[in-house]
Amino acid sequence: MIASAHSADKKVFEISRLSNEAKELRSAFMDGRSKLMRLKMESTIEKKVVEKGLEISEVPPKKIRIKRQE
Amino acid sequence: MATTETNILNRLYFVAGCMFVFALAVVFKLCSIQFVHGEKYRAMAQKRAVKYFDIPANRGNIYSADGSLLAMSIPKYDIAIDAVTSSEKNFKKYIKPLCDSLATFTGKPSNSFELKIKKARETEDQYLALLRNLSYSEFIRVRNFPLFRLGAVRGGFVYNQTTKREHPMGGIAERSIGYERIDENNYATRVGIDGAFGKDYLRGKNGKRLKQKIGKGEWKPLRDANEIEAKDGYDIYTTIDVNIQDIAHHSLLGQLEKYEADHGCVVVMDVKTGEIKAISNLGRNREGKYYERLNYAVGESHEPGSTFKVMAMMAALEDKVIDTSTVVDTKNGSKRFYGRTIYDSGAGHGKISAAKALEVSSNIGLATIIDDNYKDNPEKFLKRLRQWRLNDTLGVSIIGEGIPDIPHPGASNWSRNALPSISYGYNMELTPLQTLAFYNAIANNGQLIKPRFLRAVKEFDRDIEVFEKEVLVDKICSEQTLSKIKDILKNIVVRGTGKKLYSDTFSMAGKTGTAWTDYADIEAWRKDKKYVSSFAGYFPADNPKYSCIVVIHKPSTKVGFYGADVSGPVFKRIAQKIYTDTPLIDEIQTVEFENAQVVEDFEKFNSVSNTYKTIMPDLVGMPAMDAIAFLENMDVNIKVKLNGSGRIKSQSVSENIKLKPNQTIILEAS
Repeated sequence: MIASAHSADKKVFEISRLSNEAKELRSAFMDGRSKLMRLKMESTIEKKVVEKGLEISEVPPKKIRIKRQE
Repeated sequence: MATTETNILNRLYFVAGCMFVFALAVVFKLCSIQFVHGEKYRAMAQKRAVKYFDIPANRGNIYSADGSLLAMSIPKYDIAIDAVTSSEKNFKKYIKPLCDSLATFTGKPSNSFELKIKKARETEDQYLALLRNLSYSEFIRVRNFPLFRLGAVRGGFVYNQTTKREHPMGGIAERSIGYERIDENNYATRVGIDGAFGKDYLRGKNGKRLKQKIGKGEWKPLRDANEIEAKDGYDIYTTIDVNIQDIAHHSLLGQLEKYEADHGCVVVMDVKTGEIKAISNLGRNREGKYYERLNYAVGESHEPGSTFKVMAMMAALEDKVIDTSTVVDTKNGSKRFYGRTIYDSGAGHGKISAAKALEVSSNIGLATIIDDNYKDNPEKFLKRLRQWRLNDTLGVSIIGEGIPDIPHPGASNWSRNALPSISYGYNMELTPLQTLAFYNAIANNGQLIKPRFLRAVKEFDRDIEVFEKEVLVDKICSEQTLSKIKDILKNIVVRGTGKKLYSDTFSMAGKTGTAWTDYADIEAWRKDKKYVSSFAGYFPADNPKYSCIVVIHKPSTKVGFYGADVSGPVFKRIAQKIYTDTPLIDEIQTVEFENAQVVEDFEKFNSVSNTYKTIMPDLVGMPAMDAIAFLENMDVNIKVKLNGSGRIKSQSVSENIKLKPNQTIILEAS
């Protein structure tokens, strides 16, 4: 009885530790996600590559799709 | 006294008696606690050791159409210092490096931190707030600063974790993504999508759980019948397209900055489905910086100005009171209507066709058309507008939609001048979104759709609710009227007021608008002219995919104020961006190309590689490329040396010889 109560207590500490960790990881994930979202936005990329002399094309890319004849 | 047996016994009796009395007292006290005061103590124990805890539900996330996160709840940290708890030695040793670290972190001077912390130590302040709203990675960084590294007791590192709503896109579309805030008086502020759907979907339900205290500040749950599990909020998938939103935001921002305008908005809508792909609302703060201030596109009703001429023209075309070729006299730039003069910008256009009047955006032209044909029966004209639901809100999900106002005879803002005024977008009010919905209907072959922000509500992968397109009016007008108005809208960009926006690589159609605003005091207005510049339309001009409206309020007249100059470029940039992002697809039929030599080589290669695995084949006549590939794929590991590059002329090992490992074969090619 006493032993199982103690083991339950131990589990509670463990859960609290893990849920804190989960919170931290969630926060770290969100942090990274935020940074990534901002970095991958076209306007950011545009600013970065302008130094390298790259600009956004005025004409769209062309795709050639081949239709197979049966 | 002699030590006799009686003596010892007497002593024993005495001690035993004392113990008995003591035992009695214990039993008495026990009974008294258990039965006399039992109730009181039990209640007290319950209160101390057992408590109900709220289990907070996680608020749902908001996603864009492609699954990028737009809003999410995450922990944030506030950092404070307990200036008293650290030892004198540690404090002296680390205070300087700590303040230096804080200074590099915040960019504020180091000595201001030092002064504050030292003062707090003198006044025995155990909670001096230092930093607020840190993200997790920042929190980890600060936790490793000198002194803080020692922890709560030795270093005085105090932190507070709170859950905050975070928008990973930053300020972009912030007002439309929105938030829900409930203050201590239970007064809720609900903004944008987050606010509108908070109660129904995002919020979830808090749980309750009875817990018992077990030390170390921890509580352990007790099994109890009243226990309620927390139910997390649902996730919301919006229609926002992150890429288009990004373009819309930045081109609007650039233009607002260039024209030092007060505020502006841009909305991009998918023609077929009514999905809002991008919505950006930027207002100027005191320092002249722009931020998502209010949801102007949804909430702000204002006089639309010339963009409304399209509706007036369509009403006249649909009622067949005019045709596009009907000649209208716009005089030389000014004309009197019922004691009030209406002006055109420039020196006037003379006698022009109705279509031309719209192309050059002639106030007089439109006022004349509408006044001539409807002055005896304004109700007929207004009925058309009502049929197009222009007098009614769209009923969009975001709270606080502006209410349109189109006067009718008998209303306080009705006069004989109301009709000509309405024809060019004055003496009435619409929100940008309402105007856009109408232009979208033109692009969508006459079907008026309700703009919507939501695609689906989900719990993980399971759909809770899916939103479909909602048709408000199935067909606003006849095909003839539609094709006429589409031609005019196209020509406006080709040769009308929007010709500066014309591009020969991609097509767009739309109407410019330049309206006066804040002109109640006409003298003040003349001194400091304020305009609303707008552009509404769709692209590509044929088979449109997106409709879009741009409205910019109060641009600096020193830089410019015409719709085509101020708002048009935002529209054009979005149209151009979407055009260049969409690959052009050329489909071609395969040209079956048969070359006898190639077929022969291929068949020979196949038959040789299937039969010769360890013995040398005859390679003469085979292309060198094939010969090498073949030899290297043999089951025996051999080396090949090739001279030349054409077809094989001779081989150093003749046919049918068994090959040895690591043997070198020399091939001579032409």
